[in-house]
Amino acid sequence: MDDQACPRCKTTKYRNPSLKLMVNVCGHALCESCVDLLFLKGSGSCPDCNVPLRRSNFRVQLFEDPMVEKEIDIRKRVLKDFNKKEEDFATLREYNDYLEEIETIVYNLTNNIDIVGTNKRIEQYKKDNKDIIMKNKVKIGREEVELEEILEIEKQMEELRRAEIARLEQEAKKQKIREKEALIDELMFAEGDAKDILNTFAQNKANKQEELVPVVPKVTQFSTGVKFTRVSTQPTLPLIEEGPLYKYEPLAVPDRCGPDPPSIEDIVACGYLKHVRAESETEKAGGYKSTLPCLRALQDALAGLYHAS
Amino acid sequence: MEESILRYEKIDFLGEGQFATVYKARDVKTDKIVAVKKIKIGSRLEAQDGINRTALREIKLLQELQHINLIGLLDVFGQKSNVSLVFDFMDTDLEIIVKDNTIVLTPANVKAYMIMTLRGLEYLHQNWILHRDLKPNNLLINREGILKIGDFGLAKAFGSPTRINTHQVVTRWYRSPELLFGARQYGTGVDMWAIGCILAELLLRVPFLPGESDLDQLSRIFQVFGTPSEETWPGMKNLTDYVQFKHFPPQQLRHIFSAASDDLIQLLESLLALYPPSRCDCTQALQMAYFSNKPAPSIGSKLPMPSNISKIEAEKPSLKRKLLENIDGGSLAKRLQF
Ligand SMILES: Nc1ncnc2c1ncn2[C@@H]1O[C@H](COP(=O)(O)OP(=O)(O)OP(=O)(O)O)[C@@H](O)[C@H]1O
Ligand SMILES: [Mg+2]
Ligand SMILES: [Zn+2]
Ligand SMILES: [Zn+2]
Repeated sequence: MDDQACPRCKTTKYRNPSLKLMVNVCGHALCESCVDLLFLKGSGSCPDCNVPLRRSNFRVQLFEDPMVEKEIDIRKRVLKDFNKKEEDFATLREYNDYLEEIETIVYNLTNNIDIVGTNKRIEQYKKDNKDIIMKNKVKIGREEVELEEILEIEKQMEELRRAEIARLEQEAKKQKIREKEALIDELMFAEGDAKDILNTFAQNKANKQEELVPVVPKVTQFSTGVKFTRVSTQPTLPLIEEGPLYKYEPLAVPDRCGPDPPSIEDIVACGYLKHVRAESETEKAGGYKSTLPCLRALQDALAGLYHAS
Repeated sequence: MEESILRYEKIDFLGEGQFATVYKARDVKTDKIVAVKKIKIGSRLEAQDGINRTALREIKLLQELQHINLIGLLDVFGQKSNVSLVFDFMDTDLEIIVKDNTIVLTPANVKAYMIMTLRGLEYLHQNWILHRDLKPNNLLINREGILKIGDFGLAKAFGSPTRINTHQVVTRWYRSPELLFGARQYGTGVDMWAIGCILAELLLRVPFLPGESDLDQLSRIFQVFGTPSEETWPGMKNLTDYVQFKHFPPQQLRHIFSAASDDLIQLLESLLALYPPSRCDCTQALQMAYFSNKPAPSIGSKLPMPSNISKIEAEKPSLKRKLLENIDGGSLAKRLQF
């Protein structure tokens, strides 16, 4: 492995173990102190290729080949908009073509091939797919939220499991003490041979241990291979849900102390609406209907008619 | 009057809303725990001379509304610039439950919440009252798992819910498109829309349409349901605040709520119909297949509670006590004590 070195000041990792190489969008590396020196004002140009650069865009180089860094940067940027998923395509073929397209674009931009044309291609894609890009961005955000929720649930399950184990251990300890006490009692008050009693107790204990296999809930159901679709995020935890199915029951009609007012259906069918102002189109657009005030007026008029005092 | 103030012993401060400060209190007369909502008035210039008589009368009328799924207004006391309302005390609300990511909401839980909400609202609507400010934190829940709608009727009595107080931002996320377009005449549809948003939030566990401004709110709505046209929403252009939006195609709700069953999608579509006359009302909603289909709604005691609230358990003697009782009666007395 070649020793890494700053292309400008030639400092090597060997001579300066704390050497930190940084890269910017053009993909050329510089050490941290050269960056400090050259980009004192916040911006400047790359000593290698003269591209104008912002200081804030320098990042620590993670890969030895700075071109990899550049590609990662570009890929990240491209994938922000090329965010379709397999389910957005009708056929696998179309999906593959789409992935191919992304690779071409990333390759071109990384290797400075037809930059203008490629950027145009991206712009066109963005225009054509604006809605789906937006939609998928929202979706991706949601999936992250869900992922966190799943992790949280896992954590909880783990805690439950630990508590259960602790409880079982405690139980086992108590059981032991109880057995000991019983044994002592037996030895004190029983008449049999002490040896026999000890043997019987040992036998009983062995039998009991077999029965007491702890049942601790496993958590693996979440950890591995969770596919982050919404379907799988509704964990099927509390399954025991009973209770009767719902059946609609109309509200009890309050005692209005008068004759029953007509129903909405009657109001329409009997032509009562002819006697109230019809709603205008604007009112209807707001969700206002003249059947309601008509019903209300009738209710009010009839209420209390039986009242005698 | 005076005795009313003395009747409620302050226990704790519960919170502060748009137009009220809320305390937990004990009703000395009945020994019941209640929530006392003290209406803030001094802060609002136009109301400094006190709530007018009509407002107070309207509040009094609310006392007559009684339904298991409406928060009970137990008492009203005070005068002029100092009015307090006494409500049933509630342990939590739907916002807290939705945001608590240690709580898993099953389809049966969601169904139970929706039934209780719709039944309370059906009763309100039948009594000619629109809520107009439905949102998860106005759906209160007690430790028996009973949901009760709160803050109804107050919006009307105390001015528009859109008013923004110094430090409280009114959320518009549950507001219907016709209200956002400034409709002056509207109907029960405004509440149905809000129910749709709340149902969506129960499924997603994040607000469904968290708009940052009224226009952004509309834009988010149309990005999901498609931009309406004069054909799909006749008269829309006459609404006071109508603005033309860019064309968005409608999305399939089943793609957004991919875990939801078909009958649930059908309900969502009906609650969240853009054109207000097409929206279902409470009775129609409750009669939809979703509610009578399986799974059955959870019964109250099976509904989740935030961990700091202990559910009331049916009083059954503890195992330990049972054992002790047996021992007392038995002959093994001392031996088995542990
Ligand atoms: N009946 C009640 N029982 C227990 N707590 C309540 C009750 N009513 C309200 N609270 C609590 O008091 C706080 C303030 O309630 P309030 O209704 O005044 O405002 P809000 O719900 O935050 O907003 P808004 O004014 O929009 O309704 C809330 O956080 C709520 O938790
Ligand atoms: Mg409230
Ligand atoms: Zn250097
Ligand atoms: Zn360069």
